[in-house]
Order: sequence, then structure tokens, then C-alpha cells
Amino acid sequence: MKRRDFLIKSSMASSAVLVPSFMKAFENLDPTLLGYKKLVVIQLSGGNDGLNTIIPYRNDLYYSNRPGISIPKNKLIDIDGELGLNENLAPLKSLYDKGYVSIINNVGYPNPSRSHFRSTDIWHTASSASAYLDSGWMGRYIDQYGKKPYSGIEVDDSLSLILKGTTINGVATKDAKKMFNNAKTPFFSKVLETQTEAHLSEHNLGYLYKTMVGAKSSAKYIYETSKTTTSTQSYPNNPFAKQLKTTAEFINSKLDTKVYYVSMGGFDTHANQANRHTRLLKTYSEAMEIFVKDLEASDSFKDTLILTFSEFGRRVQQNAAGGTDHGAANNLFVIGKNLKKPGIYNDSPDLSNLDKNGDLHYTIDFRSVYATLLDQWLDASHSKVLGNSFNTLNFI
Amino acid sequence: MNQRELIHLHWRTGFGATPALIAASTKLSRENNVNLLFDASKKIEPIQIDLSDFGDYFNTPYTKLKKNLGEQKFQKLRQKSQKKVRELNFSWLKKIANSDQVLREKMTLFWANIFVCRDNHILHTLKFNNTLRTHALGNFGDFVKAISRSASMLKYLNNNRNFKKKPNENFARELMELFTLGIGNYSETDVKEAARAFTGWNFKPNGEFILRDARHDQNSKIFLGETGNFGGDDIIELIIKQKACAEFICTKLYRYFVNPFVDKEHIRELTDVFYKDYNIETLMRHLFMADWFYEEKNVGVKIKSPVELMVGIHKVVPSVFKKQRQVQYLQKMMGQTLLYPVNVAGWKGDRYWIDSNSLMFRLKLPSLILNNAKISLKPKGEFEDTFDEFYKEKKQRFSVDEKERAYFETHYSKVSFNELKELLVVPRLDYDTSEMLEAHQPQSSFQYGIQLMSIPEYQLC
Repeated sequence: MKRRDFLIKSSMASSAVLVPSFMKAFENLDPTLLGYKKLVVIQLSGGNDGLNTIIPYRNDLYYSNRPGISIPKNKLIDIDGELGLNENLAPLKSLYDKGYVSIINNVGYPNPSRSHFRSTDIWHTASSASAYLDSGWMGRYIDQYGKKPYSGIEVDDSLSLILKGTTINGVATKDAKKMFNNAKTPFFSKVLETQTEAHLSEHNLGYLYKTMVGAKSSAKYIYETSKTTTSTQSYPNNPFAKQLKTTAEFINSKLDTKVYYVSMGGFDTHANQANRHTRLLKTYSEAMEIFVKDLEASDSFKDTLILTFSEFGRRVQQNAAGGTDHGAANNLFVIGKNLKKPGIYNDSPDLSNLDKNGDLHYTIDFRSVYATLLDQWLDASHSKVLGNSFNTLNFI
Repeated sequence: MNQRELIHLHWRTGFGATPALIAASTKLSRENNVNLLFDASKKIEPIQIDLSDFGDYFNTPYTKLKKNLGEQKFQKLRQKSQKKVRELNFSWLKKIANSDQVLREKMTLFWANIFVCRDNHILHTLKFNNTLRTHALGNFGDFVKAISRSASMLKYLNNNRNFKKKPNENFARELMELFTLGIGNYSETDVKEAARAFTGWNFKPNGEFILRDARHDQNSKIFLGETGNFGGDDIIELIIKQKACAEFICTKLYRYFVNPFVDKEHIRELTDVFYKDYNIETLMRHLFMADWFYEEKNVGVKIKSPVELMVGIHKVVPSVFKKQRQVQYLQKMMGQTLLYPVNVAGWKGDRYWIDSNSLMFRLKLPSLILNNAKISLKPKGEFEDTFDEFYKEKKQRFSVDEKERAYFETHYSKVSFNELKELLVVPRLDYDTSEMLEAHQPQSSFQYGIQLMSIPEYQLC
């Protein structure tokens, strides 16, 4: 057989006869299931010190608890006469002034865990402190509403719990081209072509085959859709900014991905935190400003909402090492164009009424934030994804 | 013991078995085979790293050293130390791949993911790693005490900042949550009280443990229901008095050595054995002698960790661990770089190794290392040029030299294709994939071996 004939044959084969039905399940999709809105979730991993991020500078308790690490009044950016932004959040302030930012205070959950891993799991799975789930809330959202692995992308080398569903997982990639080149190896195509659904079990082997199928079709789709879009903005040279750049390219290429997840590490500031923490905030806010600019330039910002959270806040009182220990409730940011209530969404943290560990009490359950995003932004039913009903908020 | 049981035993206690090992072992009883494993791991051979040319770096406090040397020279030494840690990563992998103490190394790898630690000080890191190796089959209580005294751990979980006037809870919390008891078996008060007991635990620049009396809280503490003037060792003793501690470790062990899905009855059995004296070797012997360990439902069901995958390939063709940079790249791409755990909880393992990206890389790994990224695919007699075309562009990154290829030929090419399949692939083959392989069988054992290592089944052990 000549090469040319082979190519014709093989292209016919792959598009019609030999595609097993379970592979088609990933390819045929009712488009009405999906809106066009995107959600980008960013985690500041390690437990961001919310009190040195959004500073309650009118509160003497803030200064008396943190003699070594508090931010003086002349080194912050006032926002409402009561709270101020860390001066390294200046880029965020310019977004704030345009009405693009909503700051929600005191977000947490009952009986907070002070373990990174447990609390990250709780935020990722949207469980209560006493329940252990092995799927993430964004994973379950793509299970029910996206139906394809690439409905959710983590812009990283490996996939976090937040994007693991019960039947499908999201895709992790920092480099669509590399992923695509690897997936089109002929031997692997052959393995999948000859595969029939009947033999796939729920055990690990079946799981591997299913992941392989999803990987191959997703890699092709993501690469072919996004390859022509290259960002024209100049992002800072650091891994987090690079991840946001890739995210912007994916969104701007009109990739049919609903939810993105990016994490930025380094926030576990137990010792000598002053300089380290503000540097982290600078990295975060500079990248974020360019990211928003990038989306605006392609007119996709109006359809994108960005949530930034951390698995917990830090203790009100500093420790002996010039740092802070793991705390509880914390603030989070919602960034978008059409916010219902830009600015400070609710009351400042109450530093005079702490729990027995000396941490902030929560006033808003984090699952209410998710519920709001699911119902009012992603056109989903939050109780189906979260497993329970929660009050929704009023920020979008 | 039959071949299948032997392959199972050697995958779980090591990284697979060669045909020669199988041939020598089938005549022996289970007990004899298990004894051989432990005999081979009796010796403790610490990893050695050349640490000359560091001057006073290992015996002078940082602040003093900075003053003596000046900032620039000090930073140079610090960078050199960090570079040495990367070297240690490579040495460790080579040891895992080539050591005769296979079980000890497998256990060391297991414990490194329980007592998770990360440090860029080469002397402290090396000592920590060798501590894991020394106690890997010893007494668990002594093990925890040694870990708690190690400079790397004291730093990693901030216990060097844990003082009487302001306790730092980080170490006390992770000791109970991740190293011994698991969440739900202690209270927040227990964390605070344990933290007080570890106040003043610190280390000298050379990594030796020191208790700084003036910073140690001598007052009475209430911990897990008991009251006393407890120090750190007392806390550890009280922890291992809890049966929950034995159960916690046995559950971790079961997931690692038996099955990611836990059988409660088996955990109870192991816990009873372990709780008696916390002797790790006794526990492991019990496990490898148990009939249920060899049940078909436990065979070939575990997803290999990236290290297991790499070392397993190396045992077939010993060409994986040649260049430090390459090996670092492979670890990074698959999400497991030894000495650089993602966080203090360690790698979650099993399905957590797998997502679409990492799976495709893992499937490609054998061909990438052994065959210029090429996997033979000849539907008997056709298409030959086409696939060569496809691969033409690929750059050669990894290579197999003659000696390494000869190793494969000596050990594997005399066995039949069917035998090769049984040896390399642990789980029962998927029906369709088995048919596909039949239809595309290459001429040489080597090419067939690569095909076998490139199917999803090879990801399991």
C-alpha cells in the first residue's frame, strides 16, 4: 500500500468506522448544556495572611497583635477609610477602581481545619469539616455540565483534587503542543482503536484506559483550537504569570472550557514573613492586572469571572519567628466586569471576637460563594454539584 | 512458590523479578523466599556523598558564618549545598535501582512518604535520608524519636522556632496528623500541649540534636488524657500507646504494599501484630507470609509510582539512571521528585499519579528511554514506511548502549514471547489489547518488550 492510500484510509477509519462508542461519548455533546461563561479559580496555596493583604488599619487590635509584622498606615493603600490594601497590591487597586473587584470578608466553614491538606481538600471538594469526599466541586461540575475532560483545565503539570470528578477528570496542561504530540503516537491510537467498552472495569485498569481515551481526544481538541492564539501582552517572567498567560490564550481562543484552575504557592509564612509575603502579593497582583488586560483586549473579560481564595487565613497574633501560624476564616476576591456589588462586600473581620485558638470566626460559608458562582454565573444547579443547598450571595 | 506469586512478591517488595530470579525461587517455599528477602536487607549501607571543601559550613551557625565569610562566599556555599542535594537525589535513585538491599530500599521509599521532609542543607538531608534507611525495618517508636530529633525535620516543621514563651504548633500537629495518628484521634488541645512538650528541641550546625533547657517548657501538660511533666519522648510514647497509631501506619502500609482499596479485616489483623511491639520487620514478615497477600484480587492492581515505573524499566534494561539531568526531568514530568515532596502530606499515590498528561508521558516512557521514542507497530507486512516517516523527525535524547542491550538479551531473549508477557505485565491483559498485540507482534524480543511496556497494563503492579 502506498503512503497516500494509507493516509486516506486511516483518516476515514479514525473518523468513522473504528471509533468506539465510548470515545464518541466525549465527542458528541449537546451544545445547549454549555453557556459561554468562564470561571477561573486561583488558589493562594499555603494559607494567605488575609490580614496583611486587606488590612484593618483602623483597628488597634491589629497593631497590638502584630508588633513586628503589621503594615503601618503610611504603607498601605486606603480603600474605604477602614480597610487598606497592601501597597504591593497596587495593580489590584487599579482594577478595584474600575469596579472590577469584590472583596468578601470572613469566608470559612464550621469547625475549621488548620491543616493545609485537609483544609485544601475541604475547599476543593466543598465538603464539611467532618466529611471526606474524593471528587472536587469543579470536577463534579464538569461531570454534570461539561461532560468532557477539557471542560475543566488546570494550568499545571498535574491535576488537583478540585478538578477530579466522579466519572471524568479535568485535564492538566501547561503546554498543549507537547501534550498533543505525545498523544498522537500510532501505537497508542492502535490500542484505543481496538478497544471496546465491554472490557473496561471500574478498577484501576479500566480507569487507565478511560483516562487514555480522554487524554487523546482532549489533547487534539485543545491544541488544534488554541494553537493560533498567542497573547500579545507582556507578562512578568515568573511561573504564575506564565500560567495566567496560557489561561488567557485558552480563553481567548474560544476553547470550549468552562472552568480553569491555577494555584500559586509559597503563602505558608510561619517565619520572617514581612518581605516574603509582600513579594508574593506583588507577583500575584502584577500578573492579575495583565491577565485582565489580555482578556479585555479580546473582549472575553465580560464573560470571565475570577475567584481567588486560600485554604485558610492566618492567626491574628504573630508568632515568635516573625511569622503567623495557620488560622481560619479569610477574605477572598472576585474579579469580573459586571459585579453587582463591587468593593467591600460585607463587614470587616471582628478582631475582638476570636475563637479559642485566637482565629477569626467565619460569617460566610465558602460553599455559599460556590453556590452563587454555580447558579448565577455557570447556569448550573448548585445543589446538584455541591450535594446540599446553601444560601446564595449577591455579588454577581 | 509459583511464578505469578513470585512476580507479585517481588514487585511489592522491590521492582519486579528477572527470569533468573524466578527460576531460582520457584523451588523454594514461601517462607524461604521471604527469609531471603530479609536476609538480603540485613545490612544497612548508608548513602555517602563527598562533602569536602565546605570549610566551616557544617560546624558554624549561619549568622556567625556570614560575618566570617562575607555574604558572597556564604551564598556560594549555600548554593553548593543545594546543588549537592540534587546530586543526592540522583545517588538515591541509583541506590534504589542497583542496591542488593532491595526490601530495605523499598521500605525507605515508603517511610520517606510518611515522614515527609524537605531541606536544602546537604549534610542534614543526607543524615535524614540515612536515618530513614537505618530504621526502615526497625522499631517504630525509636524511628519516630530519631526523626523528631533530626535537623531537617526540626527545620521543616519549624520546631527550631518552638519556644516556651511562644510555642509553634507546626511539628506537633503534623506529628499526629500525618506521622502517627491521623485526624480524628486527637484534639486541638492535644496539639497545643504536645507543642509545649517539644519546646526547646533544636539542633547544632552539624545536625546533632540539642535540647535547649531555657527554652523548654518544664510545666505540667495534659496530653491524650494523661497529665505529667512531659517532654517530647513522652509524647511519642503516649502516642504509640494508642492503638489508633498502629492502625494508622498499617493502613498506610496496606495501601502501599497490598491494595489501594483497604480490607478492614486485614487491617485489623496487621494492627494486632504491630501493636504488640511496633517491630516493623515482624509486621512485614507477617504480611508477606499471609495467604491473602497473594490473592488474585491483590495482584496487579496498584498503579506504579513514577519511581517504581522507572526502576522497573531499569531492571529490564539497565539504562535509565545514567544522566542526572535526564533523571531529574523524568521525575518532574511524572510528578515525583525524590527529596522534593509537594507538601508535608507527601504524594497521595495510586490514581493521584494519573491524569491525562502524566498518563501519556508514562505510557511513552519505556520507548523514550529504550528505543528513541519508537514503539514498533507493524500490522504484519504493511505500512512499514509510513510509521518510519512519522518518527523521522524525533531527536535522540536517551540511548541504550551495547552492554545494556546485551543485559536484556542475556536475561530475556531466551524466554518465549508468551513468557516475556507473563514476566513484564502483572495484571491480566485486557482482551482487546491482547488481540491487538497478537496481530502486531514484532520479530525481536526487545521490540516486543517495548510494546508490552507501552500498554496501560504495564502501569500496574
